[in-house]
Amino acid sequence: MRRLRSALGFVCLLAAALTSIAQKLPWQSSDSSNPNSSQQVRYLYPQQVTLQAGKSQTVDLHFRIENGLHINSHTPLQKSLIRTQLMVAEPQGVNISAVDFPPGSDYAFPADPTQKLSVYSGEFVLKMHITPQSGDHLVQASLRYQACDMHTCFPPRNAPMAVDVIAH
Amino acid sequence: MRRNVIVLTAMVVALALMIAAGIMNYLERRSQRSALKGPQMTLVPDDGTAAAGAGSPAMADETADDANTTPLNGKPAPNFTLEDLNGKKVSLASFKGRPLVVDFWATWCAPCKVEIPWFEKLHDQYAGQGLEILGVSADDLDKDDPAKMFTEKRDIADFATKMHMNYPILIDAEAVEDLYKLDAFPTTFFIDRTGKIVASTVGLTPRDVIEADIKKAIGAGASS
Repeated sequence: MRRLRSALGFVCLLAAALTSIAQKLPWQSSDSSNPNSSQQVRYLYPQQVTLQAGKSQTVDLHFRIENGLHINSHTPLQKSLIRTQLMVAEPQGVNISAVDFPPGSDYAFPADPTQKLSVYSGEFVLKMHITPQSGDHLVQASLRYQACDMHTCFPPRNAPMAVDVIAH
Repeated sequence: MRRNVIVLTAMVVALALMIAAGIMNYLERRSQRSALKGPQMTLVPDDGTAAAGAGSPAMADETADDANTTPLNGKPAPNFTLEDLNGKKVSLASFKGRPLVVDFWATWCAPCKVEIPWFEKLHDQYAGQGLEILGVSADDLDKDDPAKMFTEKRDIADFATKMHMNYPILIDAEAVEDLYKLDAFPTTFFIDRTGKIVASTVGLTPRDVIEADIKKAIGAGASS
């Protein structure tokens, strides 16, 4: 009986060990299982910030654009182009007074150098001006963007993001 | 005594496996972190000359690639009926018997703006051989908000006027995006007189390739 119990314990330990090898932790989820895998822009960080309650502060929101692509800046040079915008759902107890966008870089398609564009590429940072009340708040937002590569443009998309704001 | 050894061995093996799992996880996270710090996109300098010189060969290479076409080549063009800017319904089937180019574009698509003047000129050039061109706008339409939709249609019309588009403009490409497997713009289909897709291109395509595809559409099915 004792032998059986020992063998059972061994099997359980082995199973636990093998499971820990096979299991991917939440931040290691592969693109195929990620519902956002069709996104060309991803929110990087922070996932959580600790701020002073009742005081206006700035939180830097880091985004990354897929290699080889660019998106229009917040101030594109042509009226018909879709600007990058952040739509924030302001939760109770949080005031977001403004979001600052960085200036875009100059870009022109090789086939038409006369068409000037203002774009973001690689990583870019938005500055969110936030005044939280004391407590734990989840700030959710959506980045609306429209991406292109050197020859092709993709339909506009919304990249979701969320920051857990802890205010003392 | 022997039982204790077995249990101890089992625990050591399990512990070793757990440590190995931890190391594997650490290595994977480290490789993911270094991938994030990888090279960023290099922008083409906005000085005109350098940009044109650097980009053109790459475009020619890529357009020769199968990735810049669609799986609909050689198949009958799926029929659709869409509205033009005046609200008139236009059916693809009504063009049967004529070579046709269907260009899916959008006002927000900068590469589309490069191709549109080429289509205007080619439309005039091959009109004598019966060529028709349809431009289908992929701009979003707020169908639930008539006032907003009116503004959106007006913006498309203004854009078409500004670009001197001399061929019919249809709206609401979204209604046919599954049929035509649209996920990027510009996407263009070249359809012969029998209604078969003889060529298609995705992305900005050199003018001479577009013209060759038009000739293909005009030539194919001419005797039938």
